[in-house]
Amino acid sequence: MTRPAVLAAVVIAASLLVALTACSHGNRVDLGGDSSGNLVAAIAGEPDQLDPQKTSAYFSFEVLENVFDTLVEPDENLEMRPALAESWVVSPDQLEWTFRLRPGVTFHDGSPFTSDDVVYSYRRIIDQKLANADKLSAVTGVTAPEPSTVRITLKQPTPNLLTNLGGFKGLAIVERKNVESGQIATHPVGTGPFAFQSQTSGDSITLKANPGYWGGAPKVSGVTFRFISEPSTALSALQAGEIDWTDSIPTQRVAQLKDDDSITLAATPSNDYWYLALNEARAPWNDVRVRQAIAYAIDRDAIVQATSYGTAVANQVAIPKGNPWYTPYGAYRHDVERAKSLLREAGAAPKALDMLVTNEYPETVTAAQIIADNLAPLGITVNIRTVDFATWLDEQNNGHFDMLMMGWLGNIDPDDFYYAQHHTDGSSNAQKFSNPEVDRLLDAGRIETNRNARAGDYAKAATIIADQVSYIYLYNPSVIQAWTTRLSGYEARRDGAVRFRTASMASGGVA
Amino acid sequence: MAVFTHPIVRFIARRLLYSLVVLVGVLVVVFSLVHLVPGDPVRIALGTRYTPEAYDALRSASGLDRPIVEQFFGYMGSALTGNLGVSFRNGDPVALTLLERLPATASLGLVGIVIALLIALPAGIWSALRQGRISDVIVRITSQFGVSIPDFWLGILLIALFATTLGWLPTSGYRPLFDDPAGWLRHIVLPGLTVGLVAAAIMTRYVRSAVLEVASMGYVRTARSKGLTPRVVTFRHTVRNALVPVLTITGIQLATILGGVIVVEVVFAWPGLGRLVYNAVAARDYPVIQGAVLLIAALFLLINLIVDVLYAVVDPRIRLA
Repeated sequence: MTRPAVLAAVVIAASLLVALTACSHGNRVDLGGDSSGNLVAAIAGEPDQLDPQKTSAYFSFEVLENVFDTLVEPDENLEMRPALAESWVVSPDQLEWTFRLRPGVTFHDGSPFTSDDVVYSYRRIIDQKLANADKLSAVTGVTAPEPSTVRITLKQPTPNLLTNLGGFKGLAIVERKNVESGQIATHPVGTGPFAFQSQTSGDSITLKANPGYWGGAPKVSGVTFRFISEPSTALSALQAGEIDWTDSIPTQRVAQLKDDDSITLAATPSNDYWYLALNEARAPWNDVRVRQAIAYAIDRDAIVQATSYGTAVANQVAIPKGNPWYTPYGAYRHDVERAKSLLREAGAAPKALDMLVTNEYPETVTAAQIIADNLAPLGITVNIRTVDFATWLDEQNNGHFDMLMMGWLGNIDPDDFYYAQHHTDGSSNAQKFSNPEVDRLLDAGRIETNRNARAGDYAKAATIIADQVSYIYLYNPSVIQAWTTRLSGYEARRDGAVRFRTASMASGGVA
Repeated sequence: MAVFTHPIVRFIARRLLYSLVVLVGVLVVVFSLVHLVPGDPVRIALGTRYTPEAYDALRSASGLDRPIVEQFFGYMGSALTGNLGVSFRNGDPVALTLLERLPATASLGLVGIVIALLIALPAGIWSALRQGRISDVIVRITSQFGVSIPDFWLGILLIALFATTLGWLPTSGYRPLFDDPAGWLRHIVLPGLTVGLVAAAIMTRYVRSAVLEVASMGYVRTARSKGLTPRVVTFRHTVRNALVPVLTITGIQLATILGGVIVVEVVFAWPGLGRLVYNAVAARDYPVIQGAVLLIAALFLLINLIVDVLYAVVDPRIRLA
């Protein structure tokens, strides 16, 4: 290039840079006409689909929590409160529940919400055998005697019916027209505080406020959910004022962020839990003493520190302290000698352990490395097998593992915590645990209407499950979220539900 | 019709025909592969809410319970007419999703390759002409650094500097060029730089060695000895002849970027093909994987064709046949 040409190139480049940065006043990303002024939330991935009754993805529920309603819903203490149902009465034999629906509620497209919608929604789940049908397994009939009344009949008393109906948006009330037109998976219509507006594949979903929401009009004009899976990018975007809220946060920076005055950080203990399970269909793991040896050999505190940088709480049972269903239990401690003597007692000397983990959940990979170290003194070589989640599910399903680590999310009622995983007939009992007393207690808990008696059943079951090492429970993680100090009226919830219905944004631009 | 007998037109027509055959082959291979890979799309869609009843219901609703051969011919038949099926996960038409993702990927690829060329051509030529001198050493060390830097780390550094600290540019996201040209430009600078710098480091080394190779040729010595000015020797005799291998590597780099730079897309929350494929593979969303691989293969073939035509343009000795 000639000298003048070089000069010209430099001038052009410089003016381009100036032009670019000149219009960056405030940094706030204007997402276009339909979403300016919205609360911008960054979630860590894109929803797979927006049909609340069909999806099982947390990213979907983060969005749909704001679009759909259930008959009842959990408050901040996870007690069930009226939502689309205003009140209900239970027959003396506990087999008939009559719900009185909230009057004047409409779907986002303007059609009125009636008892027919409730019947349609529940029948869809039951008849199409959707994944959430087990929540309605005791239901024998759903009828609509009047437009404002729904009657549910049961084959047995079901004390946790309300939790089953409202614990999460998987049992949302959907609109028949929306389902039958095939639109629900991409353009859902609900009754919730925000209405679906648009989705840009791979980028964002925009909701707009529903001014006629039965719980009061939202205070923000809408919510835009952006998909930012890299936590350090999401955090940078929050600090730069491009987004207002995120739960995509690098765990290792939580401690440092607590001291940052420019954002609000919440680390709320959750009801989720992570556990190890040993395959009882394989020797020697079918011997309870061998399983107990593993439980003594692992260093739970080290695992908590490495996987969560201390933000999680170690626990030897599923339910965390502070939950009404909590059972104190602390039989195990990190004790290699005890582990060795248990192995001797059992006459077992396992040389290798096939541990199944998945990079979909990096905590399982991290924990496996510590566990490998913990089991080395017992002469056990842990072969860590890291696979993607689809393969992991296959391997779990087929029983191709000695030990696996996984988490269970969004639990409210103890039936959620135990039945599927520890009952002989449980749908998630991949470890093949079978204990007649546990089966009896879990069956009893399902129908026991006296709360104290029910709590007693589950406390006994929890103790046997831990003693017999169906699972080696590890810890309860925290729900970690951060938001701008301009955002108020929002709380991080223990069940991980993200509700923006009462959120408001202080006016005034970002610096 | 003289235009159809022009050698370039005949060449392109024949290549397009070959491409179609290749694409059918790609389809067969990718269909077999996705079905052979362990992992069940129905199982993963149900996640922890798995029950045998729900499994069977969803499996038949997705058409996965039909014999594999029937599924294959059904898919081939509709794919050849441009219907790539619908996503298992949300029922969206795959062709539409791909078209929605393509502009972001194409933007990133083109901007990245332009940045890479703007850096690699001058740096590589300069370095070759000054072989062994201090400026050559600096270029070579810098490009070695560039090749070794992980792109996610470079991306995070760029965000930290230009978005968080200086506040000049947005951290992440994408705007369509035609809806919002200024927004498009502001959003593409950092991911474009990340992709471009990494590609530039690779390409600088190719440009340098291509120029060095040509510079050792007899005709360059002849040109110099007959008294042509160094500038004429450099640009007319050396650089022009070095362009053919440079074109090759440019095509490969561009195709690689278009095929999905997943890491850069993740860091900048860029709605490109790479993340789409990644998520589809994780969910075993067969129609999306198949459609995306088909599109990427088509892009590869197209770029190859363009590069081959350009060979003839930059070097008249090359005949298209």
